Amino acid sequence: MNLSATGMAAAVAVGLVTALLAVIRARTAVIGAGTALTGAAAVFAGAAALAGGSFSLVLPGVLPLSGVALTLDPLGGLFVAVTGGVAVATGIYAVSYADTPDLRARGVQVALPVFVVAMVLVPAAANVATLLVCWELMALASLVLVVAEHRRGPQVASAGRWYAVMTHLGFMSVLIGLMVFVAHAPDDSFTALREAGRHLSPAVAGVVFVAALAGFGSKAGIVPLHAWLPRAHPEAPSHVSALMSAAMVNLGVYGLVRVGVDLLGGGAAWWWLLVLALGALSAVYGILQAAMSSDLKRLLGQSTTENMGLVLIGVGAAGLFASFGDHTLAALALTAALLHVVGHAAFKTLLFLAAGSVLHATGSRDLDALGGLRPVMPVTTAAFGLGALAASALPPGTAFVSEWLLLQALIHGLPAGGVTAAIAMPVAVAAVALTAGLAVATFVKAFGVGFLARPRSDAASNAHESPFTMLAGMGVAAVVCVVLALWPAGILPAVQAAAGGVAVSGDVTLRLDQATGALSPLLLTLGLVAAVIVVAGVVRAVVARRVRREARLWDCGGGPMSARMEYTATSFAEPLQRVFDDVVQPELDVDVSHHQESRYLVQAVEYRRKMPDRIERRLYRPVLSVITAWGEAGRVLAPGSVHRYLGYGFYAVCGVLILLAVTR
Amino acid sequence: MEPLYLACGALLLTAVLVLWRRELSVIIRVFALQGAALAVLVGVLAAQENSAELWAVAAGVLVLRAGVLPYLLRRALAGAGEAQRETRPLVNVSASLLAAAVLTLLAYAVSQPLVELAPSAATQAIPVGVTVVLIGFFVLVTRRRALSQLVGFLLMDNGITAVGFLTTTGVGLVVELGVSLDVLLAVLVLQVLTTRMRETFGGTDLDELRELRD
Repeated sequence: MNLSATGMAAAVAVGLVTALLAVIRARTAVIGAGTALTGAAAVFAGAAALAGGSFSLVLPGVLPLSGVALTLDPLGGLFVAVTGGVAVATGIYAVSYADTPDLRARGVQVALPVFVVAMVLVPAAANVATLLVCWELMALASLVLVVAEHRRGPQVASAGRWYAVMTHLGFMSVLIGLMVFVAHAPDDSFTALREAGRHLSPAVAGVVFVAALAGFGSKAGIVPLHAWLPRAHPEAPSHVSALMSAAMVNLGVYGLVRVGVDLLGGGAAWWWLLVLALGALSAVYGILQAAMSSDLKRLLGQSTTENMGLVLIGVGAAGLFASFGDHTLAALALTAALLHVVGHAAFKTLLFLAAGSVLHATGSRDLDALGGLRPVMPVTTAAFGLGALAASALPPGTAFVSEWLLLQALIHGLPAGGVTAAIAMPVAVAAVALTAGLAVATFVKAFGVGFLARPRSDAASNAHESPFTMLAGMGVAAVVCVVLALWPAGILPAVQAAAGGVAVSGDVTLRLDQATGALSPLLLTLGLVAAVIVVAGVVRAVVARRVRREARLWDCGGGPMSARMEYTATSFAEPLQRVFDDVVQPELDVDVSHHQESRYLVQAVEYRRKMPDRIERRLYRPVLSVITAWGEAGRVLAPGSVHRYLGYGFYAVCGVLILLAVTR
Repeated sequence: MEPLYLACGALLLTAVLVLWRRELSVIIRVFALQGAALAVLVGVLAAQENSAELWAVAAGVLVLRAGVLPYLLRRALAGAGEAQRETRPLVNVSASLLAAAVLTLLAYAVSQPLVELAPSAATQAIPVGVTVVLIGFFVLVTRRRALSQLVGFLLMDNGITAVGFLTTTGVGLVVELGVSLDVLLAVLVLQVLTTRMRETFGGTDLDELRELRD
């Protein structure tokens, strides 16, 4: 039994024992600590697998028909480690955060470690049955957690319904795809599928891939299957949002890479062009929605769609390069994508935990009602600021490294493959660049409006700093963010091992010396810090010579500045909203009421803006209305008469018998 | 093989009689008769196979289907008060008899492959069992009183048991015991439900219970 197997066994055992411990009274602390321990064991297992210690395990008796088969290879190990890392931070955080009446409920507490164990097992599954069982367990456990605070209002139940329906449709799609695949293989183990994948006809392989893309893509929140994501993420408790947004959505990417690259062995170029297009669409559309959003957690959820879109751009580019035969570039693109998965997990955990801290202190997620949190919640503010920096693709940030690598891969991909690449790559580069720019605006808005300036509501001004364990949870994520940002070379070999395991046969060596884009994030950051110190020093030196005079802030003589004069999230996004008016099509409503005495004196101006999701409206509403009409039609069949119901059975039996008698 | 055919004929005849008669007390008596016919059928098979186990099953069938179940039904009827007749079935009696004829034809047509699998005296009688099942279902669909529905359900079960014995010469004592207990329990539960329905709604006309939907 090697290290990775020990780690996996420890993770599963600790997780399940923790779940059983939910019966005791002090369950919040125990469950939180247990979840963190499960995560730590998973990180250990994943790291061991990345270092080359793969393991395989077959337990034929556990599941009927095909049994449980587990294998942890470097690719799976990366996702196990990421999931574990997120679980460590959220577990510590949950010790105090989940200590509310709603979240203390036994069922909710049990679901947390079960959810983590399921997520750890998904990347380790080595046959279709195990994968699907763990996938479903993950979906059900997370559903319980999403609706945990259902007493808060009907919107939680609605989010739960959306999530349940979408996740199960996705499951069906994965199931159909994999069943078609298994039908062409001797059994359902991944080894057999890998062998069978080489001999599949292009049509069958295409069906399998598209079904898998739809299923796994909906889990990753890819447009147009993203509708559940901006609903479920805000309504779930924040530590659950962190787990879902930073760990669960990654598994959609994992599934796609596993099935598309590993099992099906690459495939046609159009597959990957489709992935690339969906990724670009998700990235731009997701961040655009986030930029317009004024709900803190909804904004973070939509940013998840954006980041998963970026990852899919990388995966799509990798597949495309591989289909052109350029395996080095393919490995580079896949490395960039996987690095972005790791970085996104780190900063999204940090951001969601900080948002949860704000919610815990103020009870509000509405950016227009927050502000002024810096003096009262310094640690949370610092954590969110760091997260926002990490999320915007600027140099000393986590996302910068991976997006830079991604851009390098895309730009160098131009000569790789003919006309297709010549069209697709520049568009993808443009999408990544636009996304990066919008992400900066979005996170400046979230941080500036939400945390700085003056408080816009009593709740915000009466806020208090969160308890120690919540800060510790954020601290873990923050440290990882900083490490990833400053020293990506430390994790790059591991990510390359994961990418190299599937993308190419052999090792991947990244050499960007010759390329135009070689730079060191650490040096860059040191330079930046030095520059800031120099500038600050110069300013201080200049200022110190003058006499200091205290005065009120310049206010045009309009009296002291109040919170109503600040930029709100809505007004901050207004210029962007004008620029992208045709894309987002906001519903605006301006109400001006005048004084009775004079039409020239305005009493109040009311501005309402609604930002309906256009893709959702165009795509989902027709489907929903057809289903509703179908259901209404079905009611005619059920008038409530027992005899009618019995009659249906009788006629059905007789009909089948007659059919048998006639056709035999 | 005369006794076997005689028993099967009695099975079919009693099923048709249930459709024909309107008096609930007569229906129960006919049902008891059918139970006895079923017991005779099992007994004939037991004699044929010379198996003590089958004899025990035959005795059990006789006690349950000709004794206990009719007794329970009669008790339910005694508490029913004035509603002693199946006054307005959803399909009238003559049409029901015609339907029974059609169902019998259907049963014969459908059972042919089963008979051809292993042609013997016992399997030749399988269509009778299938007919009883279909007629039982028909009673369930077309009769209004809760008690007639109960008889329809039991008719179906008799048919299923008959088919089981005719095809495999006994499905084993344990299985038969389990099924019998199930049937007994179902009848007990339905009897309680019938009584409750009468107390709550003043009648047991199932067609008037339409509120419980959606």
